Amino acid sequence: MKIYESAVKKPVTTALIFVGIMVFGLFSFSKLSVDLYPEIELNAVMVMTTYSGASASDIEQNVTKRMEMSLSTVSDLKKITSVSKDNISMITVEFEYGTDMTEAVNDIRSVIDMLRNFLPEGVENPVILKFNSTMIPVAFISARTSQNVQGLYKILEDKVGNPINRIDGVASVSISGAPQREIQVLTDPRKLEAYRLTVEQVAGVLAMENRNVPGGNIDIGSETFSVKVDGEFKSSDEIKEIIVGSFNGRSIYIKDIATVKDTLKERATEVLTNGERAATIVVQKQSGANVVDIANKIQLELERIKPLLPPDIQLEMIMDTSEFIKGSIGSLTETVLLAGLFVMIVVLFFLGRWRATFIIILTIPVSLIAAFIYLMISGNTLNIISLSSLSIAIGMVVDDAIVVLENITSHIEKGSKPKDAAIYATNEVAVAVIASTLTIVAVFFPLTMVSGLAGIMFKQLGWIVTIIITVSTIAALTLTPMLSSKMLRKDPKRSKAFMFFYAPIERGLDGLDRAYERFLTWALGHRLLVIFSALALFVSSLLLLTRVGTDFFPAVDNSQIGVTVELPVGTRVEHSRELNQYLYSQWKDKYPEIEVMSTTMGQSDGSNIFLSMGNSGTHLISYTMKMTHVNSRKRDIFEISDLIRKDLEAIPEIYRFEVMPGGSNEGMGTGGSSLEMNVLGYNMEDAEAVAHQVAEIMKGTEGLRDVKLSRENYMPQLKVQFDRAKLALNGISLTNAATAVRNRINGIITTQFREDGDEYDIVVRNEIKFRSNIDDVRAILLYNNQGRAIRLSEVADVIEDFAPPSIEHLDRERVVKITGSVYNRPLGDIAAEVTTAVNQITLPANIVIKTSGAYEEQQESFMDMITLLLLVIMLTYIVMAAQFESFRDPFIIMFSLPFAFTGVFAALWITGTSLSLIALIGAVMLVGIVVKNGIVLIDYINLNKERGMSIMKSVVSGGKSRLRPVLMTTVTTILGMVPMAIGIGEGSEIWQPMGIAIIGGLSVSTLLTLVVIPTIYTSLHVREMSKKRKAHAKGLKLKNAR
Amino acid sequence: MKAVMIIYNQAHSSVVMEILDNCNVRGFTKWVDVQGRGSVKGEPHYGTHAWPSKNMAILAVVPEEFLAPLLKELKAENNAAKEQGMRAFVWEAESVI
Repeated sequence: MKIYESAVKKPVTTALIFVGIMVFGLFSFSKLSVDLYPEIELNAVMVMTTYSGASASDIEQNVTKRMEMSLSTVSDLKKITSVSKDNISMITVEFEYGTDMTEAVNDIRSVIDMLRNFLPEGVENPVILKFNSTMIPVAFISARTSQNVQGLYKILEDKVGNPINRIDGVASVSISGAPQREIQVLTDPRKLEAYRLTVEQVAGVLAMENRNVPGGNIDIGSETFSVKVDGEFKSSDEIKEIIVGSFNGRSIYIKDIATVKDTLKERATEVLTNGERAATIVVQKQSGANVVDIANKIQLELERIKPLLPPDIQLEMIMDTSEFIKGSIGSLTETVLLAGLFVMIVVLFFLGRWRATFIIILTIPVSLIAAFIYLMISGNTLNIISLSSLSIAIGMVVDDAIVVLENITSHIEKGSKPKDAAIYATNEVAVAVIASTLTIVAVFFPLTMVSGLAGIMFKQLGWIVTIIITVSTIAALTLTPMLSSKMLRKDPKRSKAFMFFYAPIERGLDGLDRAYERFLTWALGHRLLVIFSALALFVSSLLLLTRVGTDFFPAVDNSQIGVTVELPVGTRVEHSRELNQYLYSQWKDKYPEIEVMSTTMGQSDGSNIFLSMGNSGTHLISYTMKMTHVNSRKRDIFEISDLIRKDLEAIPEIYRFEVMPGGSNEGMGTGGSSLEMNVLGYNMEDAEAVAHQVAEIMKGTEGLRDVKLSRENYMPQLKVQFDRAKLALNGISLTNAATAVRNRINGIITTQFREDGDEYDIVVRNEIKFRSNIDDVRAILLYNNQGRAIRLSEVADVIEDFAPPSIEHLDRERVVKITGSVYNRPLGDIAAEVTTAVNQITLPANIVIKTSGAYEEQQESFMDMITLLLLVIMLTYIVMAAQFESFRDPFIIMFSLPFAFTGVFAALWITGTSLSLIALIGAVMLVGIVVKNGIVLIDYINLNKERGMSIMKSVVSGGKSRLRPVLMTTVTTILGMVPMAIGIGEGSEIWQPMGIAIIGGLSVSTLLTLVVIPTIYTSLHVREMSKKRKAHAKGLKLKNAR
Repeated sequence: MKAVMIIYNQAHSSVVMEILDNCNVRGFTKWVDVQGRGSVKGEPHYGTHAWPSKNMAILAVVPEEFLAPLLKELKAENNAAKEQGMRAFVWEAESVI
C-alpha cells in the first residue's frame, strides 16, 4: 500500500502522527536557548612566550622566527601572525573554520614541546592561549558614584559581583575601574640613606613581622592545646610602629623613614559613565549558556541589589548583548508571522475556498515546527540563521500541498468520491512533487557542506530548509490527501457575501488566463524576436554588474559605537582627563542619540584578560557608546560615527583616533567592514616608507575612514645603562642593581594585609616626589655585599631614549598593516580603487603589497559561493534529467536561470544594495526555486504532447493550465520574502540583500520563464518534429518507388 | 447464471464494492491496475505520465435475477461521473462447478 493510500485509509493514525510531531516540536521549542549566531568555535590560538630582557628584534630572531617555522607545519593552518615586542613574543595561529580546535591545540603543544630545547636559555615556557567565545563579555554594568570612590571596589565585589557570579551560566565577573585598596609604605630615600637602610630591608622586615605561625601542640593534663603566634597586623596603623632596625642604639620605626598610607592603587584604569566616575563590572558567560537567559537573570538580580547599595551608587547596564539578540529575534519572529499571513492570503486569493486554504496552510506550522526538533536534537540554538531559514522556507512549504490539492480538486470535479480522488490524484502527482522537492534539496543540501566562514553561517540554513521541505513534502503526500478526503466536497456552496468579494477576482484571474494564452500564441509565432530580445535583456543586465558594488557582509546597526582616541605617547593621565571632559560635554549636546557613554582611560589594571588584551596606556581614551533603539532615531550609527570623526579631526592634539560603528569587537555581521593592506618585507625603513605611501593613497580614497598604520610609534623611555666594569669593581651584579632600581620605582611587594578575609598588597617604594625626574633615578643608592653604598650615577648612565616598535609578522614575513574602515561605499569598489593606485607605487626590492582583512575573506567566500553555484546547477540538472529522462528538457528549463540573475542584479541596482555574501546565497537558492516553475510548465507541456496534441497546442494549453499554479507558488515565495526584504527591526539589515535578491530574481525569471521557456521548447521540438516528418516522407517515397 | 465483467476507473473502486454488496453479489474476482481505453470517447487509462489513471476489473457470475438491479446501479454511478469511465459486459456462464 502506498503511503498516501494508507494515510487516507487511516485518518486517525495520520492525524495523530502529525499532532505528535507538533507536540514534540513545541516541546523542543520551549527547550531551545536563544543566541545571535550559531555557535562558532573561534579559530585562533595564541602562543605567548616571554624572554625577559630581550629587545623586539632579539625576540623576533631568536624566539618568534623559530617558533613560526615549526608552527607552520601544523595541519589546517590558515595563517600565522605575530607581534614581537620587548620581552614578549605573541604568535597568533589562525586555522580554517571548522577545524577541531582541541586537536589543533594539541598539535601546537607537541610542536612547541619539540622546539623547547632549541630556544635560547632564559626563555620561559610558551603559554598557549585558546580563544574562546566565552571570553567575550555578555554584559557590562556600570556603577556610578559621586562619593564612594574609596570603597567602591569592595562594595561592588560583595554586593554586586558575588551575587551575579552565583547566577547559573555566568563564568566570571570582574570589576575594573574601581581602584583597589593598597597599603603603601612610601620611603624617603634620604632618611633611609641616613639610617643606612634599604627598601628591600624594609620590605623584608614587613614580611617577617606580618605572619601567623602555628607553634605545634602541647598536652597539659588530659587536654591538648595548640600553640600559635599571631603576628599579623590587625590594622594598617600597626605598620608604622614596626621597628626596622637600630641606629646608634636607638630603634628606628617605619614612621621615621616612611609614610604609611592605606589608600588606593596608584595606576589604574579610570572609568567614567556619562561623565561621572564609575566602575565597570564585566560579566562573562560559560560556553553554551543562554545569553538571553543570563541577561534576564542579571536584570532581576540588579533590581534586587539596587536598594541594598549606598544611595549614591547608580547601577546601569551599558552593554547588554542580549538586547540586540532579543531585538533581532523579535523582528524575525514578526517576519515569519507576516510571511505566513501573506502566504495565506495568496492561497485564498487563487483558490477562493476556505477549506482548501485551511488544508494548505496547515502544512506551514507542521513543517516549520519540525525544524525545532532538528535544532534541539543537534544541540543548536534559536538564532538569526535558524529563524531566517524558517522565513525563507515558509513560502516554499505550501508548494507541494498546492499541487496535490489542485489535482485532488480536479478529480472531485470530474466526479470521483473525495476519498478515491485523494488517493488516486495524489498518486498521479507524487513523482513530480518529489522531483521538485529534490531540486530544492539539491540546492540547500550542499550548503551544509560549505567550508569556511560561510559554511558555519549556512550549515544550519541548509539543514533547516532541507528538513522543512522534506517534511512539507511528506505532509503534502499524507496529511493533505487525508484532510482533502474528509473536508473537500464537490461543488461547495459559497456564501453570497464571499462571492461578492471573490467574483471579480475570479473574473480577473480568468481574464489573465486568456490574456496569457493570446500573448503566448503571439510569442510562439515570433520565436526569433522573443529569444533575441530576451538575450539582449540578459546581456544588458550583465552591464549592471559593473554598477553594483560588492561587500562581504551588510553593515548592521547594533546601536553601539566604539571610539579610541590616541594622544601623543606619554601624555599624562590628567591631560587625557581634561580632553575627555571636553569631548563628553560636546558630544552630549550634539548627539542626543547617545544613551550611555562609558569612557575608559589610563593603564589597565590587568584584572580582566579581555580588557588587558588591548593596548593600554595613559595616552589612550576609549569610549563605548550605547545609542537609543534603532526605530527611535533618525541617524544610524554609521552617520553618527562619521560626524564624530569630523569632531575628532578638528582637535589638533589628538595623534590619531578610530571610530568603530558596531562597537569595538569587530564581530561577524556587526558594524562596518574594513580594508587591510599589508606591506611585506624585511627592511623596516623601506616597508615603512611604502606603508606611508599606501596610507596616503587610502586616506585619499573616497569611503575610507580612520586609516591607520599597525607599526606603533616609539615609546619614550629612560634607559639605565650600567657599566659592567664599574659594577664588577664595586661588587654588584647587574641583576641586583636592576632589581634595586625596580624596587624603588615600581615598588616591592613581600606581604599582604588581611582584613575580613580579603588580602591587600603592602607595597614598599620611594615616595612619589623622589621618583619624578631623571636625577631621582641617578640618585638611587645601590649597596654591595660589603654594605657599601654606591650611587647609581657612579656605575651607570641614565639616558632618554625611545623604545623600538614592535615587529609584526604575517606568515613568517615582516609586515606593516594599514587598515581603514569603510563608510558608505561598497568594499569591492574601494579595494579595486586602492589596488590600482597602489600598483603605481614603485616598490623597493623585496617589498610586496597585499590586500587582506574583510576583502580577502570576501574574495574567498565569493569563490566558495561560485563553486557552490556551479555544483548546485549541476545537481539540479541531474535531478531534472532523471525526472524527464531527457538531456534536452532540463536544458530548456535551465534557460530560466540567466533571467534570475538579471533580476538579482536589477533589484540590487535599483535598491542600491551591494552584492554581499548574503545576496549571493540568495542567488544560489534561486537556482532551485526558479527551475521549479520550469519543471511544472514543461512537465505539463510534455504531458499534452504525449496525449497526442500538436506542439503548438501542447505548449499553449499547457501554459494556460499551469499559469495559476506557477503564479501561485511564485507569489507565495515572493510574498514570504517581502518582510525580510523590507527589513523591519533590529539586525534585519543582514538578511535584507537576500530578500531583495530572491524577490528580484524570482519575479523577473518567472515572467520571462512563462514566455521564453515555451518559445525555446517549441523551437527545439519543432525541429525534431520536422526531422521525423522528413524521415517519414523519405520512407513513404522509398515504399512508393518500390 | 450470467457472467458480468465490470471494467472501471479505479476512482470508482469503493463505490463499485458498495454496489456489489447492495445487490447481494457475494462472489467475484478482481484485477487491479488493468489498462485500456474506451471505444468512442473514453480516455486511455495507462498508468503512464501522460495518462496516469488506471482501471480495475471485476468478474462476477450472478444469478439472472440479480443482473438487472446490478446493472441499474452501475449505470447510475457511471452517469454521475461520465468522464471517469465505467463499462459492464454480460455474457452467458454455461456451467459452473
